[in-house]
Amino acid sequence: MDRRKALQKTGLFAGATFLMPSMLSLFESCKSENRLDWKPLYFTDVEAKTIASLVDKILPRTDTPGALDVKSDIFIDTVIAKSYDKAGQEHMRADIAAFNENCSSKYGDVFYNLSDDDKTAVLNEAEKSSGKFGKGVWGAGVGPQEEIGFYRSMKSMAIWAYMTSEEIGKNVLNYDPVPGEYEPCKPLSEVGNKWSLG
Amino acid sequence: MGVEINSNQIMANFNIDAKKEVTYDAIVIGSGISGGWAAKELCEKGLKTLVLERGRIVEHVVDYPTMNVDSWETELRGGLTPEQKEKHYKAIRSGWIGTDTEHFWADDKANPYTEEKPFLWLRGHQMGGKSLLWGKQTYRWSDLDFEANAKDGHGVDWPIRYKDIEPWYTYVEKFAGISGEALGLPQLPDSHFLPPMELNCVEKHVKSRIEEEFSGRNMIIGRVAHLTQPHNGRGQCQNRNRCSRGCPYGAYFSSNAVTLPPANATGNLTIRPFSIVQSLIYDEKKEKVTGVRIIDSETNEAIEYSAKIIFVNASTLSTTQILMNSKSNRFENGLGNDSGELGHNLMDHTYRVGAIGTVEGFEDKYYKGRRPNGIYIPRYVNIDEKSKSDKFLRGFGYQGGAYRGGNAANVEAFGADYKDSILKPGPWEMFITGFAECLPYHDNKISLNTDVLDKWGQPTLTIDAEFKENEKALNKQIQEDAVEMLTKAGVKDVLGFDNEHPPGYGVHEMGTARMGRDPKTSVLNGFNQVHAAKNVFVTDGACMTSSSCVNPSLTYMALTARAADYAVSELKKLNI
Repeated sequence: MDRRKALQKTGLFAGATFLMPSMLSLFESCKSENRLDWKPLYFTDVEAKTIASLVDKILPRTDTPGALDVKSDIFIDTVIAKSYDKAGQEHMRADIAAFNENCSSKYGDVFYNLSDDDKTAVLNEAEKSSGKFGKGVWGAGVGPQEEIGFYRSMKSMAIWAYMTSEEIGKNVLNYDPVPGEYEPCKPLSEVGNKWSLG
Repeated sequence: MGVEINSNQIMANFNIDAKKEVTYDAIVIGSGISGGWAAKELCEKGLKTLVLERGRIVEHVVDYPTMNVDSWETELRGGLTPEQKEKHYKAIRSGWIGTDTEHFWADDKANPYTEEKPFLWLRGHQMGGKSLLWGKQTYRWSDLDFEANAKDGHGVDWPIRYKDIEPWYTYVEKFAGISGEALGLPQLPDSHFLPPMELNCVEKHVKSRIEEEFSGRNMIIGRVAHLTQPHNGRGQCQNRNRCSRGCPYGAYFSSNAVTLPPANATGNLTIRPFSIVQSLIYDEKKEKVTGVRIIDSETNEAIEYSAKIIFVNASTLSTTQILMNSKSNRFENGLGNDSGELGHNLMDHTYRVGAIGTVEGFEDKYYKGRRPNGIYIPRYVNIDEKSKSDKFLRGFGYQGGAYRGGNAANVEAFGADYKDSILKPGPWEMFITGFAECLPYHDNKISLNTDVLDKWGQPTLTIDAEFKENEKALNKQIQEDAVEMLTKAGVKDVLGFDNEHPPGYGVHEMGTARMGRDPKTSVLNGFNQVHAAKNVFVTDGACMTSSSCVNPSLTYMALTARAADYAVSELKKLNI
């Protein structure tokens, strides 16, 4: 895993002064990159590492937490274990296997073992080939709905897992559980990030 | 601000002990929007009233377990387990069921129904019924609606006109608290309003463009049963948009927060939970119903209760199911069914047909608060000679709204910059979606199914209804007009849509025990009284003679208060 390189690219690794305690722990986890430090409810080891590597590539750590910092991979495993029916679980398993097979045939290894550049190439390709979500009104799709492939649906799950995590929902987004008055037209500059809770 | 929960609102200690007493002045079957009103009115007029609720007690605030729960506090963050999906395997089609409200939706496995044609029947089996879950859109009907059947000959004439119900609209509005803006439109009469909620900047922009481009069309903020200021001891809306979990401020209208507490305060209310009404007991000599038979859903015990008057408010289809199941020598085909119309003329509004697009030029604007309301475009077709359509009868209105949305997963990017971008609000989107009136068709019907029994061995319903040519023509116009309005308002990438939902998705099911002037062609008279059993009143959606295109709940409230007033006066005159 080339997490170090990924971090360098973001400019976060520019100097030791940037090293915060939480980042040091990141290196700890990097050392044990081929060993999970949590026990999946549904995923196999290979699947868990694939999903972890994928969500990390989509939503990496910057000056805000990344997908792995808020345990998005663990949440996705929980959802598949506890919310999917058997057919859905098997579908997911087959999708992850196909994703890794594609990585192996084109780049010589499963996703999480690829170089960062190869991972980028895989995702660039997936972005182009994976269907897109249609519009929705009141909880249901409207208009044409494309078939959503593995990559886009996993990306969507990663975003869901990330945005609804406590760290992001409370501390990064604007958390305001009891807004009181509705302000219908407010300069964005006075708000900044999105409101949490939808 | 009214943020604190007023402890007076928590009306604990409902009298649920219906063991000692089996005789009451009045029985109300069901505790949803109309049953709650019936209970309040009858109790306040001094009648000892038994409310029979097929589900459990849901006490305001106390029984709203998810009202303050954030996503990360639940394991699946709104997702359902396979067992929950199975339990709600029919209702889940609505797209509305998550862990936050799952406990307020009925069990589809224990309470099966058969779809002869596709129909979504959404049910809330608990005290408060669907008043906990409803959309709160609250509008008066007009004579355009009450005269519609008489004018074009579909269905039968309503036995009432706007002037008959107007004082009762006023009466229920003043108590319930309805926010909105007065416009003086004849086709959508103004209510007694609390201050309106506000349109956001994109909605204001689209409104001004549509009103400029299309003479006779208006876009207004939705008129809603949300308090915009403290009212009758209830707190005002805090813009959390977590209404369906139950509101700790009592800011929206539900039986639990609004009608049942004052009914309870009279000392005249008994509410019996877990009481499935099996049938009404008809006495041939007295030519009246003398009581009801229930099955206790927990013990399977069969019990009879008697009363002088019965209000059947079990929800449109369940009310008619009870009447159909109430067979006697006098009424072989169901109580009050001399006309043969019981179970017929089922209607709903069409749903999810309209247009959506993105709005540019407001990227530096946002809002604060999750306003539980949107816009409304009142009906503008077939309201006068000038607006007459030769393609269809009746009309439609739109709901909708603008918000910052988009789908971040669709953006072709990933990595650090992408992650930062999804923390910012997405593009502005605006949608409008129509609700079309459905004509009353005799062959849109429900019937008792003795082959499929529920968990308690009772016959279930077979639903056989569909939208027909007129509704399809209305939907076509809804979509065309929606695309045209948004496009002319400058909305970009406008996408028209029609999900072709079957009836039921609108959750405005109406009819099956209609009001009318003639006992030969209707089940109820002008005071919601069963023609042939005068001490039985039906004031929920079953009573509706036509469907308008306007949301019906306020009309149920007004009809209920009116019928209760009449029932008590008839009782005092010893006429029933």
